[in-house]
Amino acid sequence: MSSGFDASEFLAGYLVEAEEHLSASTMNLLAVEASLRKGENNPRAVRELFRSLHTVKGLSAMVGVEPIVDIAHAMETVLRHADRAAGALSAKAVEALLAGLRAIGERVRALSVNAPVAPAPPHLLDALAALEITKNEAPLTVEIDLEPDVLVKLSAAERAQLIQGVEGGRRALRVDFVPSPARAAEGMTITTVRERIGAFAEIVKVVPLSIPVSDAAPGGLAFALLVLTDGRDEELAAAVGATPEHVREVLHPRPEGGADPLGEPSTAEEDVGETEGRRRGIVRVEVARLDDALERLSALVITRFRLARAVDALAAQGVNVGELGDIVKSYGRQVRDLRGAIMRARMVPVAELLDRVPLIVRGLSRATNKPVRVVIDAGKAELDKAVAERIFPAIVHLIRNAVDHAIEPPAERRRLGKPEEGLVRVTCFERSTNQLELCIIDDGRGIDREAVARKASRPVPADDAGLLDLITQPGLTTLEQATKTSGRGLGMDIVKRAVVDQLGGEMSLRTTLGAGTTFTLRIPLTITIVDAFSFVCGDQTFVAPVAAIEEIVEVAPEGLVRGPARHTRFGEVRFLERRGEIVPLVNLASVFSLGAGDEPKALLVRRNGAPLAFGIQRMVGQQEVVIRPLEDPLVKVAGVSGSTDLGDGRPTLVLDLVALSGALSQNRTEVAV
Amino acid sequence: MTEILVVDDSKVMREMIVACLRAVEDFAFTHAASGLEAIEKLALQSFDLVVLDLNMPDIGGFEVIEFVRGQDKLKRLPILVVTTRGDEGSRSRALGAGASQFMTKPFTPDAILANVQSILRQGAAGFHE
Amino acid sequence: MSELYVVFKVEDGEYVLQASDVLQMESFAGATKVPGTPPYVAGLIHIRGRVVPVVDLRLRFGLPRIEPTMDSRVIVVQSGERTVGLLVDSAREIMKIAPEGLSAPPSWMGGESAGFVKSVAHVERRPGEKRLVMLVNFQKIIGQEGIYVDERNG
Repeated sequence: MSSGFDASEFLAGYLVEAEEHLSASTMNLLAVEASLRKGENNPRAVRELFRSLHTVKGLSAMVGVEPIVDIAHAMETVLRHADRAAGALSAKAVEALLAGLRAIGERVRALSVNAPVAPAPPHLLDALAALEITKNEAPLTVEIDLEPDVLVKLSAAERAQLIQGVEGGRRALRVDFVPSPARAAEGMTITTVRERIGAFAEIVKVVPLSIPVSDAAPGGLAFALLVLTDGRDEELAAAVGATPEHVREVLHPRPEGGADPLGEPSTAEEDVGETEGRRRGIVRVEVARLDDALERLSALVITRFRLARAVDALAAQGVNVGELGDIVKSYGRQVRDLRGAIMRARMVPVAELLDRVPLIVRGLSRATNKPVRVVIDAGKAELDKAVAERIFPAIVHLIRNAVDHAIEPPAERRRLGKPEEGLVRVTCFERSTNQLELCIIDDGRGIDREAVARKASRPVPADDAGLLDLITQPGLTTLEQATKTSGRGLGMDIVKRAVVDQLGGEMSLRTTLGAGTTFTLRIPLTITIVDAFSFVCGDQTFVAPVAAIEEIVEVAPEGLVRGPARHTRFGEVRFLERRGEIVPLVNLASVFSLGAGDEPKALLVRRNGAPLAFGIQRMVGQQEVVIRPLEDPLVKVAGVSGSTDLGDGRPTLVLDLVALSGALSQNRTEVAV
Repeated sequence: MTEILVVDDSKVMREMIVACLRAVEDFAFTHAASGLEAIEKLALQSFDLVVLDLNMPDIGGFEVIEFVRGQDKLKRLPILVVTTRGDEGSRSRALGAGASQFMTKPFTPDAILANVQSILRQGAAGFHE
Repeated sequence: MSELYVVFKVEDGEYVLQASDVLQMESFAGATKVPGTPPYVAGLIHIRGRVVPVVDLRLRFGLPRIEPTMDSRVIVVQSGERTVGLLVDSAREIMKIAPEGLSAPPSWMGGESAGFVKSVAHVERRPGEKRLVMLVNFQKIIGQEGIYVDERNG
């Protein structure tokens, strides 16, 4: 094909996303079921389900898996009707949808081992098509205090969600966020605002509004956010960079009627008490603010470096520096402690992360008709929020495999003299100051090395380590039956990619035939993730954090002015005019001695108010990257803050252009950063 | 340089779209993972073309189109809607709301590239006047 | 007790490293250049989820650069906190050397690599056929850490 598009190139990514949507959907269906037992609708979960299925359908169509397209389409139709009926779904519908998820899951897994994908089961499609959608009996007539241009954007389900929220004791609030390039540069975008608010409130709807262009609103755009929360106005206002008087209540609790939330607290009374207790003495801090603190701290580190150097120089001149050396050393220690203290503020308890595991196991246990007991021992270990988000899908994957494939059906377990109920244990402890060990243990049939090797047409691995290498091979060709008999599931390469390649952790395996399997994951407690631009310069790809770049500028050769100091050792300095300001421009390729090439674009950074533009060859894109610090002195250079993997398996350098601009302005490049 | 905003909540899907279009060296891509992010980027930066999915969290593609067409400075911005087939009703709704072109997944690289190039040519000649 | 050593070649010289310091050996498929580093730093590679700098021993020893071949290897060495890859012309062999077999490098030994050799050993490959192998000073090759490194790391 002319543009070199190959769907198989995206198969791994497809499998990851499909698995994510499947586990999210299973949880949403369980939530719908739970609401159903209380006689309530769950419009939010229904909408999430609809979206997930729709996405799965589109992706499956792209990679050409027709059976999944068909199943997802039938499920989506049911969910679309339910969404229009404010989230009403019958118990029968929930069962049919669960069967649908199972059917999709089986096919996704077949795909991940290159096994043939079975066609969509006709009885399932019929069952889904035959579902009668319950009409929403009670039309909602509550007054919502909103401008018509916002109100008109609310669907029936969203109105119902607001009303249910208020009945449940929360407040329905509106606050507006006005985006601007200045705010984007500080990391405040609609995406981060939603993340921040999402941490303490349920976002029901965001409506974009045209507003007059002004200095504060250069884009002529505001977002009205409608949320349900029991948080404070100040918190909500701070999240959008506004003051509390801009927060408005849009729906007041209904005073009449039997379901007075104040008179009769809802069912989860103990939960509320416990949450309150846990919250005492806790301040929520945005991760961006902690990152800012870390950045300021790195300035302290540089000062300490210069100080030590100056002391050394004095000593070299024969001056008696006396106590100074000790002071420099203890200063260094204090800086390190401070850094540790800030890093600790980003940690979340692992126990909280694993809160969701029992629900997932329950869903899997129902789906497979195997009773499974889950034991979680997370202790007091904590993990950086960013690591937690990345490791969780891998944990879910291992648990899914354990229930689906390792745990034997009850009849077989009885025959083997095992308890009918299978056991899945998740344990975790802090191994060292920067490593966490997580074990996922089952008491199932163990992995049959010979069976795996036979089905993969590979030599039988000598030990468990060899077996792990084999099952984490991408595209390992075992048949689905093989996984049933060998007791090992699929998509293990995905787990390995998350643990080893993305997080820089380690993975090991211990298995005993007939007795069970333990997967051990060792992962770093902290990682740094940033939203970054990738670009090409001197034929090498680099990335740089979006937050550090004020602007991407087109460089028009006719608009350039040559300055007085024409040549420096990092190439020619020229000047361009940007909104009345004169900005020096250096060619990044010359700075890095990669040979000066074309520079049709430039990245504008600002350090202490002074702008500098780095000319580059071309922009490639923008994405979130995991930054690994470069710690070895051999590769500690000004302007390079770390390395990342853009998916090609090779390190890509992460640049700190602000630090580089500082190094250039001091006309030296050996500054440690 | 032609700046293209690729809007889809699926990362794999965005990557597939970029893979289809990256044969043209002059194209530069910016990703948006939701309709809201797309609207924000459109308000703050300038683009030559939007490739837009219809089904996204919080705010769908229709709302993005309606918003874009309601803005003076974005009135003429070409929008290529790429969505999952089976939404036959969506086609007329999207085109009615002001999308420049509509295509369904699955698509081939040649098809989307041809669509993009034809929209860009028409855009230069005063599309959507 | 004899210890195990990994034998590798750079140009015509045969060198050894203690096998217990060697994490693994990989063929060389290119490295990501880091601007501003000395020429002998070949760049960065990924090894089992780790990012490791690679030193090109030819350049470190002041020898002319050659294109990597099928035989080129990266020997990943760990010493204390540091893990560094050494790019060598080839590495195939493991040998045993008794501690008493090692002696200080002879004073006549010159060449660019001289400063990087800790000690030498005459080993017998086949009866009657002796050869000289040089134990490299890994610390010196990767450069001693400055006193500032600790707090820059964290």
